[in-house]
Amino acid sequence: MRVLLLVALLIRLSATDAVAQTYSSPSPQPRTTSVPALRALAARREIEERFTIGLEAEARMDWAPAAAEFERIVALHPAEPQGSTARYDLAIAYANLGRNDDAAPELRAALALDPGFLAAMANLVSVDLARGDAREARQIADRYVSLAPDSARALYSRGIVALQNGDATTAREDFGKLLHTNPSYAVAHYDLALAEERLGRFDEARRELSAALSLAPAYARARFALGVVLLRQGEHAAARNAFAQASLDAAGDPALQNIAAAMRDSIKSP
Amino acid sequence: MIEGVSRTHLLRLAALLLLAGALFCGRYAVAGTESLEDQLAGMLTPSAAPALLGPITSSGRVGWECKPERAAAAAPWHQAELPAAPQSP
Repeated sequence: MRVLLLVALLIRLSATDAVAQTYSSPSPQPRTTSVPALRALAARREIEERFTIGLEAEARMDWAPAAAEFERIVALHPAEPQGSTARYDLAIAYANLGRNDDAAPELRAALALDPGFLAAMANLVSVDLARGDAREARQIADRYVSLAPDSARALYSRGIVALQNGDATTAREDFGKLLHTNPSYAVAHYDLALAEERLGRFDEARRELSAALSLAPAYARARFALGVVLLRQGEHAAARNAFAQASLDAAGDPALQNIAAAMRDSIKSP
Repeated sequence: MIEGVSRTHLLRLAALLLLAGALFCGRYAVAGTESLEDQLAGMLTPSAAPALLGPITSSGRVGWECKPERAAAAAPWHQAELPAAPQSP
């Protein structure tokens, strides 16, 4: 009996040892010993790591460290799609640092690497508008619309650029098309009204402003524009009311509030 | 005689100056009206440029997961990250 117990104990102990005895798997064999290949592997690893760090910094709105990471990635000349993506991300960091003149070349470089990069086109138009380069903004906006004719952002961007450049006809077409698929977008009604007003089509401008205000009754800028159109049409009392309401609605915009109040006061009540 | 001619010339000159002055004032008044029109037009500023689309991962823009590229191509305005009109309080 004792012998049996001893044998059972020995078997149990040996089984426990076998379970506890684990070995780490051997390291994978290197696929190459070539120095250039190993260097390329290290660079790829560095690019991935820096992308992770840079994107985390951008998520924290920590733009200067983010820019440093993406600058280093660009210096490593990554293959596509990382080359165009790193330049795109670098441009975002630069723009948020107020360096729009540095952001624009990065977005141009991203587009040279990837000509169909719609997000880069969208951001380049916004950056160009911020830095006052109306010519390039229009050029890129035209390209954006031709590549993505149904894109709301493409139509909106080119419409804004056209309005700023005095091309009311293109603005009218773009905002009209945008509203065809987005009839409840109050801002597009406002911008279309501006195009109509510049083309001297006051009834159409008034209709679009009424549409904008029915969708967003507290839209002070649209209310003010309605006052201007009414004034142009000789409806002084209605214009005065519109300016009065705009001055009330523009509580968060002191400049607009002051202008609306001045316009209200300049029109004599009947 | 010479005095008479000179006086006539002087009167003509004065009339010319008055006419020029009147024309100048008239033109100035028209210019003033135009500047008011310009001022009104200048107050009608287009809506804001769209805010920048967000960063993209190292995988690049191709693929369903790339939100900025989808926003750049989207037809509905609320998916395109465009400025919204102020809401009523």
